[in-house]
Amino acid sequence: MSTSTNKGHRIKIEKARKNYGSLAALDGLSLTIEPGQFMVLLGPSGSGKSTLIRSLAGIEKIDSGSIFLDKQEVNRGPINIAPEKRNLAMVFQDYALWPHLSAFENVEYALQRRKLSKEVSRQRVETALERVGLSTKGKNYPHELSGGEQQRVALARAIVADPALLLFDEPLSNLDADLRERLRIEISTLTREIGATALYITHDQSEAFALADKIGVINRGKLEQVDVPEEIYERPINRFVANFTGIAGTFTGKVKRVSKTSCIVALGEDQLKVRHTVGLKVGQTVDVLIRPAATSFKKDSENKISSVITDVAYRGRGYEHAIDTKYGSLTGVFDNVSHPRGGRISVSIDPDRCIAFPTESK
Amino acid sequence: MQKVEPSRDSFSSRALLFLRTKISPMTIFWLVIVSILVLPILLFLAVAFSPKLLDQGPEWFTFNSFKAAADPYFLRSIWHSFVMGVVSAIFATAIALGVAWIVLRTNSAARKVWNLAIFALLLAPSYLIALGWERIFERAGVLNIFGIDVPFVRDLLYGPFGIAMILTFKGIPFAYLVISNAMRGLGEEFEQAVRVHGGSRLAAFKMMSTLLLPALWSGIAIVFAESISDFGVASQLSSPGRYSVATFTLYRSVMSIPVSFPLCAAISIILLLLIVVALLAQSRALRGRSFRVLSGRTRPITRQKLAPLGSFASNASIYALLILTLGVPVFGAISASMIQGLGTVISNYQINFDNYIRVIKSPLLRSPLLFSAEAALITATVAVILAAISSRMLVSTKNGAGKKFLDFFLLAAVGLPGIVFAIGYIFAYNLPLAQRYGFHLYGTVALLVLAYIATALPSTTRSLVGNMNQFQESLSEACRVHGSNGIKTWLTVVLPLISRPLLAAWCLTYCGTLLELPVSQILFPPGHAPLAVGIDHALGNYDFGGGTAMEVFAIISALIVVAVAFALYERLAPVGWKQLGRAHR
Repeated sequence: MSTSTNKGHRIKIEKARKNYGSLAALDGLSLTIEPGQFMVLLGPSGSGKSTLIRSLAGIEKIDSGSIFLDKQEVNRGPINIAPEKRNLAMVFQDYALWPHLSAFENVEYALQRRKLSKEVSRQRVETALERVGLSTKGKNYPHELSGGEQQRVALARAIVADPALLLFDEPLSNLDADLRERLRIEISTLTREIGATALYITHDQSEAFALADKIGVINRGKLEQVDVPEEIYERPINRFVANFTGIAGTFTGKVKRVSKTSCIVALGEDQLKVRHTVGLKVGQTVDVLIRPAATSFKKDSENKISSVITDVAYRGRGYEHAIDTKYGSLTGVFDNVSHPRGGRISVSIDPDRCIAFPTESK
Repeated sequence: MQKVEPSRDSFSSRALLFLRTKISPMTIFWLVIVSILVLPILLFLAVAFSPKLLDQGPEWFTFNSFKAAADPYFLRSIWHSFVMGVVSAIFATAIALGVAWIVLRTNSAARKVWNLAIFALLLAPSYLIALGWERIFERAGVLNIFGIDVPFVRDLLYGPFGIAMILTFKGIPFAYLVISNAMRGLGEEFEQAVRVHGGSRLAAFKMMSTLLLPALWSGIAIVFAESISDFGVASQLSSPGRYSVATFTLYRSVMSIPVSFPLCAAISIILLLLIVVALLAQSRALRGRSFRVLSGRTRPITRQKLAPLGSFASNASIYALLILTLGVPVFGAISASMIQGLGTVISNYQINFDNYIRVIKSPLLRSPLLFSAEAALITATVAVILAAISSRMLVSTKNGAGKKFLDFFLLAAVGLPGIVFAIGYIFAYNLPLAQRYGFHLYGTVALLVLAYIATALPSTTRSLVGNMNQFQESLSEACRVHGSNGIKTWLTVVLPLISRPLLAAWCLTYCGTLLELPVSQILFPPGHAPLAVGIDHALGNYDFGGGTAMEVFAIISALIVVAVAFALYERLAPVGWKQLGRAHR
């Protein structure tokens, strides 16, 4: 198996704008992806991530701004280099397998641009199908394959020609959880093996954190934050990024004391020590966004609030609880043992994993 | 790894882009559409407002021709056309939906017979179907010879009931092709979803009908436009004293002396407005909803096994329909072709094959069939290529203005009576301007074939729209991002995926052109009489036997061509192409 050789495109998008009528799908967005990097764009429906990936593919054309693949400007003004000349491949959300071609022929199709001999081509298709675990399914037509197998064929089709850029348009959204996890690992390893630059779009934060070298959080056609997964999770730049990258719940309160990186927030009778990333003032109303990992039922914590268990879900490695407090509800509170519904219990909050943002920044 | 090319400077990029835009395949497509469709229609319609433009009167701009068209006689005939169009469109589409469901979704034994009969029905021009009914029920007709006289049936036939009935019969195959192509691409999971959520068979059928709405509306629009522009039925069953329709009054105006072309153009414009009503109804009903259901995930359907009663009812329905639409006219034509002296007052009628022998031996009767077969071959091939591009454009989410423009002209061309269309061709290609630039097409076979292509294009396009609508955009996008240019994408994915509907459209166009009447009559070059003109001449000379024998030969030859085309497809097409839309037995 080969390892990454950084042979992928360097992607540079400058001030890209795209409107659909009065709706701005891309609102002056700029982004750079280094060769061989696996970038995940995370955002809700309608945030512009599909428009961006389709513009990179050349299927859509941006209204203004420019897109570079390495040093070649592929999209600016009237210039729009055709998709087939961009040396890329794409995995579609609906798989987009051609129903009149077998799995083998679907994969082989993407190799035609390389103009290889028939024998070499056959070997590469077989290798690609083998890599995705479908070496025995080459003769099957798309309708004879399961959803997961179809998406594997789409993945083999994308990697077979060793493209410089791999685009993934929410490829796992139509699959069940188990299959999603297995295919996620395959996408991650195969993409890094071929060394292509990858851009993957999703609205699933767990998928984003598991796959990405870097994550870009996109909202209303703009990038809110681009950074490594750890920074995005630990130091979200604003409330939207924090919210979209996974929280157990939100409490609203007033700042009582402020230090350099943390503050004390009064929530009615209780007080919580939390982190902050933007400047806060004493007396200011803030929203405290609490990550699931910040919560526990530890008894020795000082940062505690009383609560009532409303639901319990078994997760194999333990139990996740939903709780109600006087200040709001929290989900995903993990413990190794189950606590009964309706039971009263104190929930501990880890100050490093909850962040306060001014309420007005909503 | 293949490296991308270095960046080009801005000026050369723009120059290249300019050139590529100017002479792209789409530019050529638009040039063809404008030359064969838009120009002849616009020039002729312009005569209604500006007779002097084409030397048809002294005024540069006037509404006088519309004042003349507002005569109660013309208005009544236009209203009659509208009513006939609506009635036949609704009945033909409803019947076609039922037939498509029986043929594609059930194990009814009659489905195999229908698959063969559909092309015979498509092939038979409306005037031949009307003639077949006439030959049986007319005075001194076939039934009379056997001592049976049914005057009330004759009265019904020569009135609105008869006209609507024949137009409905003629409309069924058009609607069926559109609906069945769409139904083939519709997986059964939608119906299954209804059933598992508590819906009855009827509810599942309703759901399927809703998903087929684009095809149903296309069917209604095609049958409506075909009906109001039909001249064949009008020429046989319409008359001023009984029930006149617009095409009949138009024909009388063209044949009267002096001919008032501005008046004809004004009536044509009013007919076009009726088509606009159909278009508006279609777009209002759909309101931009997406019905894209064909993708790589669509699975073949499983035929529903009918209970004995259901099986009997479905078979009986199909056979009854075939008897009415084909059986009666075929019996009329065959019996007439074998009876010597039909329609005359002689009493010693003889039944033999003499008329067929005459057709084989006489070049006068034989050569029109060969000429029309050649013309139909070229027309069908070119029209299907253009129709594939046009239908893709019509369902595209892009090309806003171009799409509306094309949609209007394609439907307008369906609505324009063939005879008027042919006159438009004379105007367009006999103009001094055309002659000056070397377009000496008037009176040539080339002009006739171009007119055939233009008249075939609208209905051929419409027959493909339902199928194109089901084509997932991502399938062609996947081609582009995996290294294929636009043309290769068409050749390797779009065309294979619609190969069966394309073949059906080719057969439809071939059959339609083989027996085309109005354009042939106006534009046929000297020494090259097409089949319909040959038959018309024979019937005009009271050679009913020779004329009907030519009809029978033509229909048999067309059925052979259709059978060969499908046999070749089954033998030569790759497995993947053939399994699309195929049901489990």
